[in-house]
Amino acid sequence: MQNVTLIITEKPEAAKRIALALDFDGAPKNKTEKGITYYLIKREVPIIVVPALGHLYTVTNQKKEKYNYPVFNFNWAPRDIVERKTYRIRYCIDIISKLSKKAEIFIDACDYDIEGSIIGYTILKYACKNKEEIAHRMKYSTLAKEEIIRAYNEVSPHLDFSIIEAGLTRHEVDWLYGINLSRALTIIAKKHSNHYTTLSTGRVQGPTLNFLETREINRKIFVPTPYWQIKAKVKIGKALFEAEYKKGIIKKNRVLKNIITNCAGKNCVIERIEKAKRHLTSPFPFYLGSLQREAYKLFKITPAQTAKIAQRLYLEALISYPRTSSQKLPVSIGYRTIIKKLQKNPEYEKLTAELLSKRFLKPNEGPKNDSAHPAIFPTGNTTDRSLKITEKKTLDLIIKRFLAVFSDDAIIQETAISISINNNLFAIKGTRTAEKGWTRFYQPYFKFKNNVLPTVINNQKVRLIKLIPEKKFTRPPFRFNPSSLLKKMEKENIGTKATRSGIVQTLEKRKYICGEKIIVSELGFEVSEILREYCPSIVSIDLTRKLEERMEKIKEGKEKREKVIKDTIELLMKTTKILKTKEKIIGARLNNAVKKTLNNRIEVGYCSSCKNGKLVILRSKKTGKRFVGCTNYFEGVCKTAYPLPQKGVIKPNVQSCKSCGCPTIKVSIRGKRIWNLCLDPKCSSKFKGKKNEMQIV
Amino acid sequence: MKCKLCKREKTEKELCLFHKRAYEKIVEVYAEWVDALNINWEDYLSEIEKNSLTGKWAKEVIEFVKESRVNL
Ligand SMILES: [Zn+2]
Repeated sequence: MQNVTLIITEKPEAAKRIALALDFDGAPKNKTEKGITYYLIKREVPIIVVPALGHLYTVTNQKKEKYNYPVFNFNWAPRDIVERKTYRIRYCIDIISKLSKKAEIFIDACDYDIEGSIIGYTILKYACKNKEEIAHRMKYSTLAKEEIIRAYNEVSPHLDFSIIEAGLTRHEVDWLYGINLSRALTIIAKKHSNHYTTLSTGRVQGPTLNFLETREINRKIFVPTPYWQIKAKVKIGKALFEAEYKKGIIKKNRVLKNIITNCAGKNCVIERIEKAKRHLTSPFPFYLGSLQREAYKLFKITPAQTAKIAQRLYLEALISYPRTSSQKLPVSIGYRTIIKKLQKNPEYEKLTAELLSKRFLKPNEGPKNDSAHPAIFPTGNTTDRSLKITEKKTLDLIIKRFLAVFSDDAIIQETAISISINNNLFAIKGTRTAEKGWTRFYQPYFKFKNNVLPTVINNQKVRLIKLIPEKKFTRPPFRFNPSSLLKKMEKENIGTKATRSGIVQTLEKRKYICGEKIIVSELGFEVSEILREYCPSIVSIDLTRKLEERMEKIKEGKEKREKVIKDTIELLMKTTKILKTKEKIIGARLNNAVKKTLNNRIEVGYCSSCKNGKLVILRSKKTGKRFVGCTNYFEGVCKTAYPLPQKGVIKPNVQSCKSCGCPTIKVSIRGKRIWNLCLDPKCSSKFKGKKNEMQIV
Repeated sequence: MKCKLCKREKTEKELCLFHKRAYEKIVEVYAEWVDALNINWEDYLSEIEKNSLTGKWAKEVIEFVKESRVNL
């Protein structure tokens, strides 16, 4: 073959979409080798579309100095060399290398953002042997056919080297922080205890854990303060209302008593009626963060899940690229075309018809911008696959938000009736929707409660039924949940839209935090404390913020990658030096915290072999599988262990097995019957009746 | 030397940094209680001790202050 064009995509699904869009017959030939499918396309010139599997290359330690810190020598290497179980990465690199030998023109069609640019760049440089200089760049925001063809026809002559430079810096800096500090913690903990725990921290992990810890401290030292609220229960016509004291909360008991004495037996008169119209402007289009928050609020889908769902919807060309921080919808996306496509779905028929009847369509855009992508919008395409319920919900939310963005303000009629009792003012507030506006497009996601008040006139007397004083206390600050933590990270500008939700998962995996309302574990506390004490600059938001600024400067060509790396290494040299001199004391603290956190693990009963150990649910460091082990294992005394089912939620039972006396557990897998299980795989109960099931006494 | 309430290293006097901060908070909030209820120190401690909104470390400090009657 001659003049072959090789198009490289970030993911297999994107390769398929691009192949389908570009092939003249819409039916590209495909070949599968070692599980990797690539496509041969008929067009003016022959094209091969080959997918990557996300990042194929990663930063790694040049000389494999495994149990030592600090480490400052690094290079980029295939991921299969660095990580376990990544043989598909090897196949993928092999296939791309092979195909690249036939090609003369190279197009990087990975997602158009920093990560995508790095994926494309490293493949072109390493797998294709230095083709990054001659490669072109395809930029698109949806995988819809027309957009792909446009992106192919308007392909950029070269890669965006400034974005790549910034991206490489971020990866390298993060690797340096992560490897050095995580290794230091892990090595110190291992030296001073008899078991191995992976500890980690990093440039984003450190400050994030610090927020959580600070919040936890503020909750633990919290002392409530009393205050009072007072309401007047009044009768207007036949209806009862509770009017609130206009001055708000009362901080002194003496003041409260005065109000009560002042009002006793006095006339109750309507003093004023105020009416106002309030405009509720339509919402801004979604960017990843706001979509994640809304999905969490409405459906309790975690930010990490939402990111995954949105990515799937994007790969099926149902929505535009979700990893965006933009609140803009440029005209070029074709508002009317999208709305017309959506109209074909009976569910949106009426609402879309209404928008289409408008002469002008203007979205209510927010202030946030993203140079690479617009806000998230639906493409109007449909899929043959039946979507999962969470996917359906998320897509519906995105579609309705998109429609609402083009709609008019909602108008709320507000009424406030002021009631005077011996010059003490109380108020009843009423609200009524005057114009539903955009809220009609955003159902059932926007809820508004109307509270209609009776018609009254000034100086009208009403009956005071009673005064209701209420003693209250100030409340401790809320625990973060995954969604509010994400918002905090976004506000403090730490992490990127693509990585934030993953950081929260890492903190969970390291057992630093747990729970839906995030609680910091003993270990999380200690790690955060140690970092704050011995390397304060690492957990400060300042460092990360400055680094983000420098990254921006690299993008603008005003800063050099080498300089940023050099400064990072200098700082880490100082920090690790301090850690080295304090190893003993830090080790003792970590050891204590690890033990405490381990003791908080789910207990399933006492160990029948050593008699005084507790059986707890653990996870194997090697395989990642969960199992039950004895706590005396850590003391080197008892090696009792039992396997566990790897799926479902496990809860310990109070009763033990009637056949063998071993502790039992309850296993529940969604959609299946809950069953009881004896821990001992050799227990005779396993051989009666159904496999693996048993009766408890 | 260890904090009298936990195993952390103490900073000065009897308590670690966290328990010390809890103590300072108790003292700070007392002024607000006086303003609100004109309450004496002992009654204040009893009130916040039985309040479910009071934080774990603050409660530990209250107990310690009451038991040892040490003026920190
Ligand atoms: Zn303490």
